[in-house]
Amino acid sequence: MSGGGTGLRHHSPEPTDPTRVVVLGGRGFVGRELVAALEQAGISTMAPTRRELELTAPDAGDRLAALLRPADSLVVLAALTPDRGRGIEPFVANMAIGAAIARALARVAPAHVVYVSSDAVYPMSAGRVSEASCAEPPDLYGMMHRARETMVAAASPAPLAILRPTLLYGAADTHNSYGPNRLRRAAHKEGRIALFGDGDDMRDHLFVDDFVALTLLVLRHRSQGVLNCATGRSVSYAELARKIAARFERPVEIVAAPRQAPVAHRHFDVTALHKAFPTFRFTPLDQGLARAHRQMLGQP
Amino acid sequence: MTEPVIGFAGLTHLGLVSAAAAAARGFEVVAFDPEPARVAAIAGGELPIVEPDLPDLLAKHRDRLTWTADPTTLGRCDVAYVAPDVPTDDTGASDLGPVRALVDVVARALPDSAVLVVLSQVPPGFTRGLPGLAERRFSQVETLIVGRAVERALHPERFIVGCAEPTLPLPRSLAAYLGAFGCPVLPMRYESAELAKISINVCLAASISAANTLAEVCERVGADWSEIVPALRLDRRIGPAAYLAPGLGIAGGNLERDLATVCRLADRHGTDASVVRAWLGNSAYRRDWALRQVHARVLSRRGDPTLAVLGLAYKENTASTKRSPSLSLLAALAPFRVRVYDPCVAPRTEFHPRLEGTATALDACTGADALVVMTPWDEFRALRAEAVAARLRGRTVIDPHAVLDPVACRAAGLEQVVLGVAEEADA
Repeated sequence: MSGGGTGLRHHSPEPTDPTRVVVLGGRGFVGRELVAALEQAGISTMAPTRRELELTAPDAGDRLAALLRPADSLVVLAALTPDRGRGIEPFVANMAIGAAIARALARVAPAHVVYVSSDAVYPMSAGRVSEASCAEPPDLYGMMHRARETMVAAASPAPLAILRPTLLYGAADTHNSYGPNRLRRAAHKEGRIALFGDGDDMRDHLFVDDFVALTLLVLRHRSQGVLNCATGRSVSYAELARKIAARFERPVEIVAAPRQAPVAHRHFDVTALHKAFPTFRFTPLDQGLARAHRQMLGQP
Repeated sequence: MTEPVIGFAGLTHLGLVSAAAAAARGFEVVAFDPEPARVAAIAGGELPIVEPDLPDLLAKHRDRLTWTADPTTLGRCDVAYVAPDVPTDDTGASDLGPVRALVDVVARALPDSAVLVVLSQVPPGFTRGLPGLAERRFSQVETLIVGRAVERALHPERFIVGCAEPTLPLPRSLAAYLGAFGCPVLPMRYESAELAKISINVCLAASISAANTLAEVCERVGADWSEIVPALRLDRRIGPAAYLAPGLGIAGGNLERDLATVCRLADRHGTDASVVRAWLGNSAYRRDWALRQVHARVLSRRGDPTLAVLGLAYKENTASTKRSPSLSLLAALAPFRVRVYDPCVAPRTEFHPRLEGTATALDACTGADALVVMTPWDEFRALRAEAVAARLRGRTVIDPHAVLDPVACRAAGLEQVVLGVAEEADA
């Protein structure tokens, strides 16, 4: 299974605000931030709630098609994330969501589609990942995203951008996966951070504000193709824990917990991102962690 | 027998250099190209390529060289080489149409007793598939290195000759010509000879890929690849002339063309070429090394920088920009101001919309926030780090090939970034 290409090409070389952006999954961690940023930028935005549009319902495709207009840009964030389980049930529900979106896109072709996938489409055996890397998902969650990428691409002639973000962090994250958010909360509540093994696994952590900014660039340029969204700088969990612990006034203990998986590292080659958006600058990890820390504590 | 008359058809890089070498070895040479304008320009001393020592060599032996656009002139030849450079596309696929057409022209012009030799790079099966008498038809492997082509043509390491029947002696005319160079002659079947050239380039690509892979590891673990290389060269299994210099991928297109050919052959015949594909992937990745350095060290820190870029050619001693890492870098730096200098290639706005050409290398450095040395021209090696530092506004010098002296850079307060060299840890 191919990685899906080597980056983005822009249908609008000069950035132009989209007419209207429809955000599916606009009430989640990333969705809320994206909708806020779109509204802040004065871009017309529609983010249907689950009550307004239950994407797992049998008629979801028809209902979504009724909402969509040809001039819209559609951002697909809706998914049951791994914190809701990585088993068969969430997989089937996520595929139902994908099928509904594909049915709607087959009926109404919008101006642009942005599908937010995940780096989970890449196996953890690949230490360095680029858009050209083989997307062989190791589990049902990654398989779901890879399948939905293909479903959306096949359903619509609209330019499609597939974004595959690495681990995102930010104070409002609800997923509590093994990363800055969980480590910060554990340090805050328990004064203690537990790392698997020695915490030497390397990961790339992207501040949610940066991901939202990249998504806005993709929308404004009507970009097409596959883009991994990562900083290109991985750190070990041990280093991450030390950075987070250092933000607290009281001492935070960092302890080793039994490993649940063998050591695996992930680094991103972000050359394609540099080429797509040469002037984009990432929030340095220390700054992003500081901002998330202040937000968690309700500080300005 | 009298000395054979040697013909060369197709006066691009390979044909021109080979014709000059034949004349230098004392043979009468007929140099033919179907483009009259090209022939007239060359005869008038205007060469379409940049190659050190070639103009002098041609001038010195001009009495033995006949330039012509008339194919019937080839009727004087005992041996005629068909030698046009074979164009390749972005995927490394060769366009064999021009060489095939030229073979037809030459074959019609040659006397029955003459020998036709395909010198252009062609895939296995090409020469056997040509029409005409097999016993008068040969292929020969070219090992041209751009920038060192004259030296290589005058003093080849060996001749690899593809034959219909390798156990038979070579025709006397061809044997006499090749014998004049005093190097081993290796006859073999056509397909072996055609694959031999590919094999040479695959082995070189393997060395380069190993060097590039390990150079990157060096950059991350505190090592210096240039310290390791001498140890490798002293290992007889690797050798003193091994291709161990790290580079910005596999530049220039010829090696990549052969790697692409191996992949196509493997796919067609069901053999495994996954390692070759990995080299191509690594080449594409390392090609963008300088861009990643520019982002990490300059663009992530400064909003609207000015960059100085030295070198546009894909390597030194050539005006060729085919698959040049420098042009690839410039294409990815479109929003930024760039001052550029190359001794042989004039800057063009198609390279970059905000490109400013300068008269000298030092002029390019003036006021720039960082310097990127993309082509290792000797002229750049002569730059004094102090003078560069005095012109630059910033301190960063991205110098993949260590063209500037590292010790002098350090003394001048420049932060030089070199392929395969980790930054020194703070004392």
